[in-house]
Amino acid sequence: MSKYEYIPEPALVKGNHDFASITKLVTDVNLKPTPKGWYLAMLPANALLLLLLTSIGYLIWEGIGIWGLNNPVGWGWAIINFVWWVGIGHAGTLISAILFLFRQDWRTAINRFAEAMTIFAVMCAGVFPAIHVGRIWAIYWVFPIPNQMAMWPNFNSPLLWDVFAVSTYFTVSLLFWYVGLVPDLATLRDRATDKVRKFAYGLFALGWTGSNRAWWNYEKAYMILAGLATPLVLSVHTIVSFDFAVSMIPGWHTTIFPPYFVAGAIFSGFAMVMTLMLVARKVYGMEDIMTNNHMEKMNIIIMVTGSIVGFAYMMEFFIAWYSGVEYEKAIFLLRATGPYAWAYWIMMFCNVVSPQVFWFKKLRTNVGFTFFISIVVNIGMWFERFVITVTSLSTDYLPSSWDYYSPTTWDVLTYVGTFGLFFTMFLMFLRFLPMVALAEIKAVLPQGDPHNYDDETQEFHPHVEKVPQPKAVKA
Amino acid sequence: MSTTKSKNLHGLLAEFKNPKALIDVSKKVVEAGYDKFDTYSPYPIHGIDHAMKLPKSKLGWIVLVSGTLGFLGAIWMMYYMSVTDYAINISGKPFFNFPAWVPIIFELTVLLSAFGAVFGMFFLNGLPKLNNPLFEVERFKKATDDGFFVCIEAKDSKFQVDLVRQLFEEAGATHIEEVYE
Amino acid sequence: MSELTQNTYWKSLNELAQNKEYQNFVDREFPENATELTDGVSRKGFLRVMGASIALAGFAACRRPVQKILPYTKQPEDIIPGIPLYYATSMPFQGSLTGLVIENHEGRPTKIEGNDLHPSSGGNTNAYHQASILEMYDPDRSRGPLRKGERSTTDDFYKFASDYFSDTNKKIAFISEANSSPTFNGLKEEALNKFSGAKWVTYEPFGEDNSIEGNNIAFGRRVRAHYNFLNADVVVSLDDDFLAPVHPNNVEYAKQITSRRKVTSTEDSMNRIYAVENGFTLTGSFADHRKRIKASEIADFANALAATLSTRISGLNRFSTISNKFIDTEFVTALADDLAAHAGRTAVSAGFDQAPEVHAVVAAINSALNNIGTTVNYLAVPHFDNQNNKSAFTDLVSEIASGDYDAVVIIGANPVFTAPSDLDFATAISKASEVFHLSTYVDETGLAASWHLSRTHFLEAWGDGYSFSGARSVIQPQIQPLHDSVSEIEFLGAIVSNGKASGYDLVRETFNSFYARNFENRWLDILHDGIDVTDGFTVSNRPIRSVAPAPSTKVNEIEVVIKADNSIYDGRFANLGWLQELPDPISKITWDNAALLSPATAKTLGIVNNDVLNISVNGTNIQVATWIQPGQADDSITLNVGYGRKGIGRVADISSTSSQLFDSSMTSGGVNVFPIRSTASMLFAQAAITSTGNTYPIASVQDHHSLEDRDMYRQATLKKYQEKPDYASFKAIHKYAVPGMKEAAALGEDQPISLFNEQTATEGEPQWGMAIDLNSCFGCGVCIIACQSENNIPVIGKREVDRGREMHWIRADRYYVGDINDPQAVHQPVPCMHCELAPCEQVCPVAATTHSDDGMNQMIYNRCIGTRYCANNCPFKVRRFNFFNYPKEYLTSGEDPDIIQMAMNPEVTVRFRGVMEKCTYCVQRVNRAKINTKIETGFPKPADGSIQTACQQACPADAIYFGDLTDETSEVVAMKRNERNYLMLEELNVRPRTSYIAKLTNPNPALVKETKMEPAH
Repeated sequence: MSKYEYIPEPALVKGNHDFASITKLVTDVNLKPTPKGWYLAMLPANALLLLLLTSIGYLIWEGIGIWGLNNPVGWGWAIINFVWWVGIGHAGTLISAILFLFRQDWRTAINRFAEAMTIFAVMCAGVFPAIHVGRIWAIYWVFPIPNQMAMWPNFNSPLLWDVFAVSTYFTVSLLFWYVGLVPDLATLRDRATDKVRKFAYGLFALGWTGSNRAWWNYEKAYMILAGLATPLVLSVHTIVSFDFAVSMIPGWHTTIFPPYFVAGAIFSGFAMVMTLMLVARKVYGMEDIMTNNHMEKMNIIIMVTGSIVGFAYMMEFFIAWYSGVEYEKAIFLLRATGPYAWAYWIMMFCNVVSPQVFWFKKLRTNVGFTFFISIVVNIGMWFERFVITVTSLSTDYLPSSWDYYSPTTWDVLTYVGTFGLFFTMFLMFLRFLPMVALAEIKAVLPQGDPHNYDDETQEFHPHVEKVPQPKAVKA
Repeated sequence: MSTTKSKNLHGLLAEFKNPKALIDVSKKVVEAGYDKFDTYSPYPIHGIDHAMKLPKSKLGWIVLVSGTLGFLGAIWMMYYMSVTDYAINISGKPFFNFPAWVPIIFELTVLLSAFGAVFGMFFLNGLPKLNNPLFEVERFKKATDDGFFVCIEAKDSKFQVDLVRQLFEEAGATHIEEVYE
Repeated sequence: MSELTQNTYWKSLNELAQNKEYQNFVDREFPENATELTDGVSRKGFLRVMGASIALAGFAACRRPVQKILPYTKQPEDIIPGIPLYYATSMPFQGSLTGLVIENHEGRPTKIEGNDLHPSSGGNTNAYHQASILEMYDPDRSRGPLRKGERSTTDDFYKFASDYFSDTNKKIAFISEANSSPTFNGLKEEALNKFSGAKWVTYEPFGEDNSIEGNNIAFGRRVRAHYNFLNADVVVSLDDDFLAPVHPNNVEYAKQITSRRKVTSTEDSMNRIYAVENGFTLTGSFADHRKRIKASEIADFANALAATLSTRISGLNRFSTISNKFIDTEFVTALADDLAAHAGRTAVSAGFDQAPEVHAVVAAINSALNNIGTTVNYLAVPHFDNQNNKSAFTDLVSEIASGDYDAVVIIGANPVFTAPSDLDFATAISKASEVFHLSTYVDETGLAASWHLSRTHFLEAWGDGYSFSGARSVIQPQIQPLHDSVSEIEFLGAIVSNGKASGYDLVRETFNSFYARNFENRWLDILHDGIDVTDGFTVSNRPIRSVAPAPSTKVNEIEVVIKADNSIYDGRFANLGWLQELPDPISKITWDNAALLSPATAKTLGIVNNDVLNISVNGTNIQVATWIQPGQADDSITLNVGYGRKGIGRVADISSTSSQLFDSSMTSGGVNVFPIRSTASMLFAQAAITSTGNTYPIASVQDHHSLEDRDMYRQATLKKYQEKPDYASFKAIHKYAVPGMKEAAALGEDQPISLFNEQTATEGEPQWGMAIDLNSCFGCGVCIIACQSENNIPVIGKREVDRGREMHWIRADRYYVGDINDPQAVHQPVPCMHCELAPCEQVCPVAATTHSDDGMNQMIYNRCIGTRYCANNCPFKVRRFNFFNYPKEYLTSGEDPDIIQMAMNPEVTVRFRGVMEKCTYCVQRVNRAKINTKIETGFPKPADGSIQTACQQACPADAIYFGDLTDETSEVVAMKRNERNYLMLEELNVRPRTSYIAKLTNPNPALVKETKMEPAH
């Protein structure tokens, strides 16, 4: 008897589902009348959205001065929130593109969901660069538009790279998401009974028939998009990190930033997907599709990226010491021991310590615990951006200009407000669009695979895993 | 079976019970020498492209062209703006500061490629096409749920209703129906 | 504050706006403008209210002065729009004049500069001179006479005066601030002759009385000690801050002191400065040796010094018996040796407020050291009263109190606020039937007077007077008086001649009397140069008497020391936003005064910064916030006066304004310290200190005071410099070359290698650069105010300063070096460095900051969108951001914004909310000069020295050099060639155009203990 035991891959979809039942399970959410709970959730979301608009309005009226910024610290919560939201967005693209290229079929349960999150997160992120400037009404000058000054933007500026990166990222994510939606919109079109839905879904389904000649090009397009989105998602956070890395402030001017930011992005993104997924699947009873196996896989990714981030933190310290640059050494010591040490240690605990618990299978398969950690991780990642942005500026080269930064109420309200935007969009999505990629999940059902059918009778027989018997080792 | 000759025939639509059946029948259809036909399923079926003998997709070329446009366009834009049209001394850096342009070149290349991929795909699939004779068929709604269909179009040179119907019946169609325009 | 005075103050202004006849008057003057008065614009905001209620000012600006005055430098006299004209005048302060040149744009003065023909200016200024322009345009200035609090006119006053003063039997008490004007003093004589029962006292709260009395003891004659530090190898200051603007001659003294520290080669020598003081003063921070002792121990110290000297030089035998804690201390012995060794080339001085006996001892020491005639002269000043003005004032007040006088005439001074508290001046004058008061503001005295008269500002008035050293010069108006005011000579003239007197005529008469013939041409020259004769007061040749040791005044417990404030003096400048926001040169506090005490004292009292203390001096209590001041003498608390004024102006008394820039928690204006200043405690007093448990926010512009072992400030002793001339170079400090230099050397380049081909300087264009000599800079901060005045930099208020949003384009960093209890304080002015590879430029997404052909780092305001990325990426943090619409606060709102707008420099853009700004190297001056030279020579390269930046122009230490780096012969190139020249943060390879010349100290070898660059924070 061998000491090896073969554990077959768990089924991607639990329960005894066929095509029709899956369609029903997913699309009924959109076609059945709106549940009261949805309105209850929409209420606070809209309230927060209103708060966001108010605080932006007041900002435009009074000026950046309503924020806590000061002379050394020119960037505060606005930039922190920007980086944080963008980071969160990345998980979506990662799940839909990179896992697709790696043929990770389990992604089908969550990719639609994650992509939606990406788009809304990037929207929230996009708010900040636009409003954090002193003259908001002139923000469009960052685009190369002919103007009365006959001036063009400065292509040496990382901030301008950012403009292109983030807008490209948003556009491509949107297209990717929409392409994925088309067949499912067609499904909704065909299942819809009332005129409005028929028309609306029909319009956006573009007349999709499910023709396999169309599927043929469609799959090609989807693959190419995945191939494009993968380097794109990596480039976006790389370029975001350039905002800091290309500058010359100690603690910012470091080459480790791109990989470290990307890892951090995936880290926080997965945590956010987790938070949302665990809630949504409970509310909409989709445990069969978004199974605990998915949760476990994602927890492992969180643990891995968390460790990468932790490694980056330590590497920063090492390089600061190794480089021998006094300002570099000073800033990292100040982070850990200076006026912002509290923030630094919160970050350390949330990002480095907390995900390590997922080494234990018991914990990474525990729903409640996972939910808790997913939130801790996002808090931690916010503090990471805080530590990077604020500490470096507040204590840079000349001690004479060192100054402590603390936010005002308006900083906080604006940030809280973006959650209003995010959840408003997300609730709309849950209500009106299929939260699971139907076509894709059908393709990975056992019934979806033509090889699971008898060649003669054409009858379905479930796939049986052939367990490979390891050869007995000769003495 | 009641067929009104007022409308002219679009083609003959047959439903099959599962993806396997759909693959088998499409093989037969191809053998029988039809070329103006198509199969419909709620998801892309693995291996049906061989069965239908589909040609390689041209999408790759479209993306290549649009991507190249993005790449060259980006370089031209930045060269024109910061070297030709209005050169400004920034931090004593050269006007033609290529390393700094790489990120934007990359982004625009990706952006244009993505446009090529998406709109090229729609173009090749003839989308958007909001009215389609098949939508007249009530049962065809299953095509986006759990139905597997084949439709041979009347335009096909070899098209003869009875022969096609016979072919479908032999292939074990669960349902056959004429589609009118 | 008293609600009442506040109301009356405003009431009067409102009345002013409605007052019928005033309305008519304005209609008469400017019919087209009558409506201005009736526009009811709501008054809100702090500097927004800098513009109260009349509209005549803006139009007065468009009118030329009526009398004939000549341009200082430019011909023809007529105004060419856009081309400024320069006129000479002088500013009176503490009875001495400083020569100035005023830049006029279309008939309105906009900028004050020094008059290099004038000995007490030498072309430079101090912060008070710079800010006086704002004083003239201050909308809170008194706008006309008040008769018993009601608005009146000067004509009414003249009517009243001609009648009232016709009775020569009236007993009149004259109280005047120090005034050197021959015209004024002539009228003074007339007045005293006219009124038999008249008495005249000159009153200055921080004047030189004690020093005069001390010299009287020493020489039997009231003379003024005037130093010539040019000849002094060793300078000893006993609590005398002669480098600070609080000293009437600080500009000349600063020039002399620093010119003896200009070291260009290892051969050069330096003077040596010893400062003995309780609190950290500018002089103390500039000294080679600073001894911190209580202010009350200065007498003992002076005695000890004299005693120790007595064994080395003759003439001090009466001190040989002295014994106190300072005798035989290392410091005193070393100091005495040093003085004796340099006898004849030393100078010892004592602070004005020190007791007369101390000044006598100092005179004795100077004479024993043979300093008289070389480093110090005792000048016979004709206009000195032949009386002890301090005691005379005390007597007079008590006489007034006992009702001996019909009228009290107060000229300039503000005794109700500043007089010793035990005299209870306010009650005293209430006994007199009439109190006349002439003042720039409706101040505490003005409110108590039955006749307040608005004093014509010296920029609007005719006048004359003598410099500290006795150079005679004129004060000529730059503009018609903005308000219904009279100058002090017109006022006095009205009293003696029972009627209106023209200042112009009075002054002209006076000068006419000096010249038998050919006066007309002379007169034109005088007006042109702004100065008449430079040979000063006659030197008194009275021999020294035998001087007795000064009585010991040592306070054994904790002492409080009351000093005039570096920013607002005795409070007379309290309503000038520029000065309120000018950081104290040492403590870096703005907008407030505080109880400055040493770290050790704070520890024993168990208090920290911002704790509010209750300070009790024989029965009187005041509550002041704590500020821990390294270098302060232990058990010695310094308090600056001038703050805590109520209802005087909206800047001086923030609590009287409501504005978004000032939330209630941020009231400022400080605490009035005068209540604890009595005749018994003019300088120091024993005090009981208790903590109230409350705290009060104090806005300091610098939070961190240690160099953190970093190298942006570099210094060494003169000796070390001679051994190792390149001590300040990067290599000498770090033991390795600037990264990239080795590789560059291999390629034969002189700048560190870089990854790309850098842009090279444009051919034929000048390349501007600056060098700042840290060995000359003593940190007074006049550069900050000069820059603010030249470049229209807004005042932002305490709350914004507290949030760290100060807008000054040039800041004076102050670091403490060494032991936290007794550190060295070093000053470093930091403007924009104008880096050639400017990190700010590359990060701006919209190219709003770029590089010019002449190598300046430019800021394009109308392109800036305010990402603040440039400020983040600036290693020197010299960029300033308009977080709010600061300028709008005081330039476009209020009822008559025209007034304050007149103070703005038309050649500099006023920046809008949300844009970045910073030092431009005064590009407006540079380009004007470039254009002119191009017209003349065809090449845009102005001659060296033809361009002076505002900071450079104002600096009395000549610490700032600016010029064309392509001009091998230019001064700035010479400075940059000096081996002490270094670049801040050189290793970053941003290549600043502004460099520093490292500091040198010249310690007494006998006292040297290696001061390591330890963090003092």
